[in-house]
Amino acid sequence: MNRIITRRGRLLGVALASVSLLSVAAASAGEISVWVWDANFNGNAMREAAAIYTADHPDVTINVDDTASQDDIRAKLQTQLLAGSTDGLPDIVLIQDDIAQKYLQSFPGAFEPLSDKIDMSLFASYKVAAATLDGTSYSVPFDSGVTGLFYRSDYLEAAGFTAADLENITWDKLVEIGTTVKEKTGHLLLDLDLNDTGVLRMMMQSAGEWYFNEDGSLNIVDNAPLKKALETYAKFYQADLVKPVSGWAEYTGAFTSGEVAMVPVGVWITATIKANADQSGLWGVAPIPRLDMEGSVNASNQGGSSWYVLASSDNKEESVDFLKTVWGGDVDFYQKILVNQGAVGSLLSAREGAAYKESDEFFGGAPVWQNFSTWLSQIPSVDYGVFTAEVDAAIQAQLPTIIQGGDIDAALEAINSQSQQQMQ
Amino acid sequence: MAQTRLDRRERINGWLFIAPALVLLGLFMVYPIVWSLWMSFQVGKGMNLSFGGFANIMRLTQDTVFQRALTNTFTFFIVQVPIMIVLALLFAVALNDATLKFRGLFRTAIFLPCVTSLIAYSTVFKSMFASDGVINQALMALHIISGPIAWFGDPFWAKIAIIIAITWRWTGYNMIFYLAALQNIDRSIYEAARIDGVPAWARFRYLTIPMLKPVILFTTVISTIGTLQLFDEVYNFTAGTGGPADSTLTLSLYIYNLTFKFMPSFGYSATVSWVIVLVVAILSFLQFLVARDRRRKP
Repeated sequence: MNRIITRRGRLLGVALASVSLLSVAAASAGEISVWVWDANFNGNAMREAAAIYTADHPDVTINVDDTASQDDIRAKLQTQLLAGSTDGLPDIVLIQDDIAQKYLQSFPGAFEPLSDKIDMSLFASYKVAAATLDGTSYSVPFDSGVTGLFYRSDYLEAAGFTAADLENITWDKLVEIGTTVKEKTGHLLLDLDLNDTGVLRMMMQSAGEWYFNEDGSLNIVDNAPLKKALETYAKFYQADLVKPVSGWAEYTGAFTSGEVAMVPVGVWITATIKANADQSGLWGVAPIPRLDMEGSVNASNQGGSSWYVLASSDNKEESVDFLKTVWGGDVDFYQKILVNQGAVGSLLSAREGAAYKESDEFFGGAPVWQNFSTWLSQIPSVDYGVFTAEVDAAIQAQLPTIIQGGDIDAALEAINSQSQQQMQ
Repeated sequence: MAQTRLDRRERINGWLFIAPALVLLGLFMVYPIVWSLWMSFQVGKGMNLSFGGFANIMRLTQDTVFQRALTNTFTFFIVQVPIMIVLALLFAVALNDATLKFRGLFRTAIFLPCVTSLIAYSTVFKSMFASDGVINQALMALHIISGPIAWFGDPFWAKIAIIIAITWRWTGYNMIFYLAALQNIDRSIYEAARIDGVPAWARFRYLTIPMLKPVILFTTVISTIGTLQLFDEVYNFTAGTGGPADSTLTLSLYIYNLTFKFMPSFGYSATVSWVIVLVVAILSFLQFLVARDRRRKP
């Protein structure tokens, strides 16, 4: 009696084990996991793409994980690549352009080269350059972080200005406008986070400079745009036009709740702003102000990221095929994500699509996408280098002194020596 | 031959019993520690490491950020640990009073912060200390301040906010140790002192504290180690940046940045970790020295 049961029991056990093994194998085949950080923006854009691809390829599932913040994703990626453990890594990950080189150079072989499978000339060259190391490109470029000055047109009107008053102005002029807006409407102009140097980098790039020279050496002390940017930053605080915030939630809360009047930021904020449908028609977009100096234009970049495929992925072919089919060739898809998420894609042919020419009701019926396309072509191109995070930290250390009217030259010296020290 | 075969067998058995634990300890604790010491002599970014001798130690001496982190960590240690120990002691003595009603409730209330989720409490504290948060509103309503304090926008106030948060969280933990130790003190000593006319504060100073000395030493050493390794609160409150102008940057957060935020420098972060080890060792030794029993020469 016992022997029969144990034999049957063993057979059952083997059957169950093989079924579970097969199902595990089946589950991992054709299941692509993607890491993104902004549910409204890149999360939804990726979900759109996934829907298009899985409609044609029903055996593939694409899981979009947008629960982690960008800092968390950076830390997770770095930790796992450091440890050499590839278990928890996704198949596709979104990495911002200005830190991409850090990963490519620190972890050779961690990412799948894509330039031999996908034609990189289809994309904007400055985006491809950010992901290229030793002649090989590792990414499918996603969005451009072309910047605009998003403003509340109702507050502007109440203060007695029109949209034309914000065209092609300098930051100093914006300080004046902001002071009037505050007097007439009581609303502060901007919200700034002392731990985020995004606006400073935006100002610096509008004059064609970055923290580093061509050869990778530090460009801080003689960096006139950086000095002007810091001075402008100080002016905003001294004129008491700033709401101090800390962290992403407070930052977005300040303008989505209508507390501050304007936000100079990359076009990807559209998704966050449009998430408040009741504010339709109350927003407008102006060109980003320029620094009051020779060489600065009313166009700049903040952020912008690209899709990378991990070399450790089990589903490399499917991932590359997915990226190539949808992100590398579907012009209609790019029209959709433009209007819904504000994703200004880097696929050159997508710019010819219909959506890029239309006006947007949300922004008062203005042809915002055409404007962004125009500004995109004017962005001065810079080489981000690999030590941006270190210099950012050095600047953050000096910001409180600067905004209280401290000596900018002394601050630049301190930033230079700290960055120099960290770059060893 | 004092050793019998039974003795030897028992000894071998004992070693065999603890062998698995020793192996695991060696593999997961001792080996990584020795490896990190080896790492601290390596220089290079990312995975491109090479032997650098004392280069990392030289770098330590010139690193302004490291000096800032060290100063901050020491500031937290010097201000927060004494306040917390004293508070915990006072709470323990107050709650040890047999005639106090709702003692259990008070003890639970003071101990509860230790068991709350770290992220949950960080989020709540962060919103409480925001410019328009509850703390500012309360202080303004009580007319203690006229305008909102930018808690995490000002280097000084950011430190105060962190100290308040840590004290709130860990006072209960230390209080429990003192309560347990107080239970072991014989009541008759206090009765004798009361009969002799010793006032309450003197009873506390000359009776309670000396008798609690081993426990006070223990909690001080544990709190020192915990505060010198401070990371969680600082990371969560300032989103990993170390507060306005590096004012809340601690050594552990600096190590984290060196490894995960900046272009990774493992050798150098290992060196900074060993600095923490040395500082903790020195401070613990000093504390044991201060608390040792001094024999008076007759």
